[in-house]
Amino acid sequence: MLLLKLLPAGLAFAILQVALRLADDADLVRRLKAREPHAMNDLYDRYGRLAYSLICRIVRNPSTAEDLVQETFLRVWNRVQSFDAERGALGAWVLTVARNRAIDHLRSVDGRMEAGAIDLDHLERPGLFAKLDSAALAMDRVRRLKSAFEKLTPTQRQVIELAYYEGMSQTEMAERLKQPLGTVKTWTRSALKILRDELAEAAIA
Amino acid sequence: MFELYALGVLEPAEKTEIEAHLARGCESCSHALASALALNAGVFSFAPPVKPRGRLRRRLLTSVGVHYPGWGWVWAAGAVCLLLVAAWLGVEERRRSFELADARRALLDSNGERDRLTQALQFLSDPQTRPASFGRGQTAPPRGYVFLHPQMGVLLIASNLPAAGPGRTYEMWVIPKGGAPQPAGLFQSDGMRALHILSGPVDVSAIGTVAVTIEPAAGSSRPTMPIIIAAPIGS
Repeated sequence: MLLLKLLPAGLAFAILQVALRLADDADLVRRLKAREPHAMNDLYDRYGRLAYSLICRIVRNPSTAEDLVQETFLRVWNRVQSFDAERGALGAWVLTVARNRAIDHLRSVDGRMEAGAIDLDHLERPGLFAKLDSAALAMDRVRRLKSAFEKLTPTQRQVIELAYYEGMSQTEMAERLKQPLGTVKTWTRSALKILRDELAEAAIA
Repeated sequence: MFELYALGVLEPAEKTEIEAHLARGCESCSHALASALALNAGVFSFAPPVKPRGRLRRRLLTSVGVHYPGWGWVWAAGAVCLLLVAAWLGVEERRRSFELADARRALLDSNGERDRLTQALQFLSDPQTRPASFGRGQTAPPRGYVFLHPQMGVLLIASNLPAAGPGRTYEMWVIPKGGAPQPAGLFQSDGMRALHILSGPVDVSAIGTVAVTIEPAAGSSRPTMPIIIAAPIGS
């Protein structure tokens, strides 16, 4: 309480909000595991709009996005038993599943990387999210990350968008951008370092 | 490059290398992967916010066997209200159309009445009109006047003339001197007064009497009832 008194009101409120949200997420995971009827409704309330926005950004079709959101939440519902309620970051997991469903869809439409679906499936196992900082989607962190993203050069931003929202490998990006692979790798590496450093600073702060 | 690995976009050689490290239980690689997943989730949340349609929640909950009432009851209540409003509007419309028809009828009646009065006035003001009276000296009604005009015809104005009664009508007759009565039109009394016009040229000098009888509603070709009015036309 003393700490809260010393902090500016806005920051104290943000910390309180994050703490409440994390406590809520752990409780929500327990309720999802217990198959409580309204747990899915609450999960959708909390992450439905974020997941839908992300999928819309990737597939750019509202009707397809609805199908993929349904697939995302059903996947979470069916796999939540392996999710660590105490340590896992529920939001990060839901968004990863959502992004992977959308990229899988893009890949199936484009007919590229047949084995990609298996890769993505492997990369969204609930166990992977157990060691995650559960405040991964804390408002303050996301704000700082976004501000760092906006400071990237146009080429850095472009390669990040191609990797995150189009699921392109660096070789595919080099072909798309008609640039040498080495150049694309440099842009990607430097962009990710800027974002990573910002996140590390946010974690310390 | 753990971020790219977690996104599933790493080149095969680099991917194999990272997976080998993770399989060996490399602590720093595990930590790097967790950080990469957190960073990736942060970037995913940059997507411009879009509001999904309400039906998506319903679809989703139905797919896991949860009944979601949503706003269905609001639509149902709205539909009932609309039906009630539509029914009320229908009744109102019907009532208004009846009122409009009544008003039209009244207007036509009043127009007809106005025309008749105008015609009667023309009768009375024309110097060629020849008057005759009836009912004078009688203790019982009716009384009144008959006006004859060679071009305009015959005008009958009667007072104290009771209504003809249900299924009955007054019929005017023009009786030529030494001839049989000729039907000269049907009319009704408002219970007190009556005005009737036989339009068209008549031979005033040949008319001996103008009479009125009560006849069946459709009228008669010959008088069948007692004479109510008889106005002798002087020569």
